[in-house]
Amino acid sequence: MKKVLMTLVTAVAAFLAFGVASQKPASASEPHYIIATDATYAPFDFQDKNNKYVGIDQDILATIAKREGFTYELKPMSFNAATQAVASDQADGVIAGMSITDARRQVFDFSTPYYRSGIGWATAKDSKIKSLSDLKGKTVALKTGTAGAQYAESIQSKYGFKITYFSDSDTSYRDVINGNTAATFGDLPVLQYAVKNGTELKVQNPKDPFNAGDYGFAVKKGANAALLAAFDKGFAAIKKDGTYDKIVNKYLDAKASTFTGSASDNNSVFGILRSNSSAFWTGLKETLYLTIVGIILATIWGLLLGVMGVAKSKFLRGLSTTIIYIFRGMPMMVLAFFIYIGLPGVIGVKIPAFTAGVLTLILNEGAYTGAFVRGGFNSVDGGQMEAARSLGLSHSKAMRKVIIPQGLKLMIPSFINQFIITLKDTSILSAIGILELTQTGTLIVTRNSQGFRVWAIIAVIYLIVITLLTWLSNWVEKRTRA
Amino acid sequence: MSEEKQVKVHVDKVNKSYGDNHVLRDISLDVMANEVVVMIGPSGSGKSTFLRMLNQLEMPNSGLVEVDGYDISDPKTDINKVRENIGMVFQNFNLFNNYTVLQNITLAPVQLGKMTKEEADKRGKELLATVGLSDKADKSVNSLSGGQKQRVAIARALAMDPDIMLFDEPTSALDPEMVGDVLDVMKDLAKSGMTMIIVTHEMGFAKQVADRVVFFESGKIQESGTPEEVFNAPKNERLQTFLSKVMQA
Ligand SMILES: Nc1ncnc2c1ncn2[C@@H]1O[C@H](COP(=O)(O)OP(=O)(O)O)[C@@H](O)[C@H]1O
Ligand SMILES: [Mg+2]
Repeated sequence: MKKVLMTLVTAVAAFLAFGVASQKPASASEPHYIIATDATYAPFDFQDKNNKYVGIDQDILATIAKREGFTYELKPMSFNAATQAVASDQADGVIAGMSITDARRQVFDFSTPYYRSGIGWATAKDSKIKSLSDLKGKTVALKTGTAGAQYAESIQSKYGFKITYFSDSDTSYRDVINGNTAATFGDLPVLQYAVKNGTELKVQNPKDPFNAGDYGFAVKKGANAALLAAFDKGFAAIKKDGTYDKIVNKYLDAKASTFTGSASDNNSVFGILRSNSSAFWTGLKETLYLTIVGIILATIWGLLLGVMGVAKSKFLRGLSTTIIYIFRGMPMMVLAFFIYIGLPGVIGVKIPAFTAGVLTLILNEGAYTGAFVRGGFNSVDGGQMEAARSLGLSHSKAMRKVIIPQGLKLMIPSFINQFIITLKDTSILSAIGILELTQTGTLIVTRNSQGFRVWAIIAVIYLIVITLLTWLSNWVEKRTRA
Repeated sequence: MSEEKQVKVHVDKVNKSYGDNHVLRDISLDVMANEVVVMIGPSGSGKSTFLRMLNQLEMPNSGLVEVDGYDISDPKTDINKVRENIGMVFQNFNLFNNYTVLQNITLAPVQLGKMTKEEADKRGKELLATVGLSDKADKSVNSLSGGQKQRVAIARALAMDPDIMLFDEPTSALDPEMVGDVLDVMKDLAKSGMTMIIVTHEMGFAKQVADRVVFFESGKIQESGTPEEVFNAPKNERLQTFLSKVMQA
């Protein structure tokens, strides 16, 4: 038992070390930073048709980095995760169309404002709603953690509407277009860009945004002063020499197709598949990689928990029960955020998203596996153990030779089920910015606003992989029966 | 060895309770080498508990249990070693479902280093022949009938070459037509001089093979003696009632 435990700990440690080491090392001459962003925020931050991260923010950042002589690794994730990543030292800075607010000044130091923006609100094109007072009793769709959401919350009681939250803008737009919700609030340029790209919304206040305010680049309060200074210095320079205006115009005046590809690429499933094939493929590979590593390690961990759960020692049994209880009860996304964003602040080591994702899978799926493994061993008839012990076999030998083989056989259907769940659960890890299949879909939809077609493609890809996985598992099951 | 017969099982003033349920009350019993003791009594009287205590599947709350000279109420005794010398046969057979018939028999001798794989296979086949199941060696245990399973279970216990065999209602789970085959194997075993303690409701069998019959009731040995004494001239009132009930059935 101890040996197995040691092996597992070593494996996980090696895996963690590998993950940390695989981060790009800082170059000796130039400072190297990790910059978090939210890549679902066109025209500021999004992926173009070649899957390059582009947008006003990204062009400004790249230009300034070049001028001021620093390099950076971009970490795309949800807006909330991006700001928290900086607050917990997982990233050095965040650029994500982030409004400068007093509340945020408590936690972040901001650059000089680089873009003046404000809050717009939009309804479905044919909506009868004309003013904020028409929203009484209706529901509005908001993107969590944004200035638009904050503004809507501040006027909620005055206008008497209800709120539902989404983690990316496009989904909240879809919700309004589909008629589930009456309106959405967001940064005006973002709304306008989406409308220009064919999102069937009507902006109600294009001329007079509420709460006009500024976007800023942010670092954690009191940290990374050099990075902030470099940004400010570079920004002043590109503002002066006209580069800044060029960047803004490039995005706000451009035809949508410049970034999203031609209409023929976007208005059919085959067009979308063709023009995004490399993105889908990369996302699928990441999903498969996560799934395979996750299944293997979670199975090892789950078996260990299950064996501990039927051990003779009361302590080991209690430990197993406690671990299973904690990690089965914890929503997977909370666990992922805790490991990726919470833990590094305590242990002082940055955890790469992939490593955090795999750890999340190990702990969560491993707990479910542990529970059914323990149950499987317990459901082996007690007479088997008595017969083995009566012959003089020790408890551990009886477990190994009689109980475990029979238990494992009973568990095969549960294992197959758990493998499929693991595959599906990898999609939850998109929340910490892992570019797997679901996150890939989110990014593509941000760019081309083709939610229905893209999600249909993604759903079919998942179904195909799940079918293959089920076939494989059934084949293995048949062979173990024979 | 002296003329005096060797004591194989020595139980002295043993008590066992499950919560408030006082299952064994001050039980004492000695079993000699080569002796066949049959235990009878109503269901719930503590027969299984007593038998299971002899190889420590149950622990007594007080009293002394010595088997083969080992004090098994002493925690320092290596119970696995003692168990190698005590064969146990269960009502529900408890054959290992993940092994073939022969593997069931060879598992323990090989795992415990008593025999090599080859020796165990050879011995296992001999034992299968003695219980009349030579053709079943490579079958899965689930393809056997109840009577066949119980004969394999006996062969499995014998493979460890035990000094004592314990049987807990070995024929109670069998269809009537299977009972004879199993009892025949046990009769042969008794003739060969094996020390046996058998819990059974087969009174005819008890009369034939028992050196001594012990009547259990309410956690106490109410009467014990030769089969003639117990069956033909029962003194204890409860034994009389019990026998009249069983004979009616
Ligand atoms: N593991 C146990 N836990 C609680 N009570 C038990 C247990 N095993 C047996 N008993 C009780 O002990 C008594 C004697 O049971 P048992 O030895 O199986 O009797 P018998 O074999 O004579 O039918 C019964 O009342 C039974 O319910
Ligand atoms: Mg019984």
